[in-house]
Amino acid sequence: MSEDPSRSPDGANGVAGRVVPVFAVTGGRTRSAGTDLPMESLVTVTEHAKQAENLRKEYRVILDIAERPVSLVEVGAALDVPVGVARVLVSDLAEANYLTVHEPLDTDGDGRPSPAVLTRLLDGLRAR
Amino acid sequence: MPGDRRPIPLKILVAGGFGVGKTTMVQALSEIPPVLTEESLTTASVGVDDIAAVPDKSTTTVAMDFGRISMDDLVLYLFGTPGQHRFWFMWDELARGAVGAVVLVDLRRIDDSFAAIDYFESRRLPFVVAVNSFPGNGRFDDHAVRDALALAPSVPLVRVDARTADSCLATLIALVEHALARTEVRA
Repeated sequence: MSEDPSRSPDGANGVAGRVVPVFAVTGGRTRSAGTDLPMESLVTVTEHAKQAENLRKEYRVILDIAERPVSLVEVGAALDVPVGVARVLVSDLAEANYLTVHEPLDTDGDGRPSPAVLTRLLDGLRAR
Repeated sequence: MPGDRRPIPLKILVAGGFGVGKTTMVQALSEIPPVLTEESLTTASVGVDDIAAVPDKSTTTVAMDFGRISMDDLVLYLFGTPGQHRFWFMWDELARGAVGAVVLVDLRRIDDSFAAIDYFESRRLPFVVAVNSFPGNGRFDDHAVRDALALAPSVPLVRVDARTADSCLATLIALVEHALARTEVRA
């Protein structure tokens, strides 16, 4: 059995290599249809997703964990795939209206969070 | 999580040299078991075609750990960022839209922190320098530390015990206060 070319040979993440190369999961796509979502973008499952049937395992896992908001990095970790692959799978589900994507939109022009959001973050951290 | 409000993702970077305590800090703060994830070149802001130019594709993955703190509709992610120069392509994606960064410093090896400090200064990303409490790190006063790191007076300098949640939380608060002050200056 030859080595899976999609994994680093040193097994950097300490997990046994998957049998299917990661990009086979996405049909060879490494780019999602939509814009490139930031890796901290959150996804939540929609009402419509309850009607989803016969989904392949990866999609099902994503819909299960997205019962509460989860980021692309968490989706990637749950599936043991790079964030780029998670991004493609999430885009598929969003296109099917099974997921809502929440991008970090509330910024003040230079891409940073707005003062209003920072103030709420500060209050949240101080309350812990 | 209230269902009527849209969740807002936020992120803070935890940077610094190898073994300075980045993973420890993420661990101390995170509500989920911190995850060591594998990031690949294709997920960074690098065109797919560029990958063809990389002769050994197996070297283009990098480990990165992250944690999470939820506060109502705000979800804050902490990213422990790989410190080596060759991973700067990843820093660009991580830094985009970030609240700011914590640069962890071990005073026994301050050279390890210059790359991170230079990077955040050049990107104008708000950051604080947090001196981790390794043995002997308390011997130097703030003035000496600022001097050694050539820190701008506007950059907050704090002491942290990366093993303790309260101490790490105080560091994040110092960073968000600083980031907020910066937005007020800009306005």
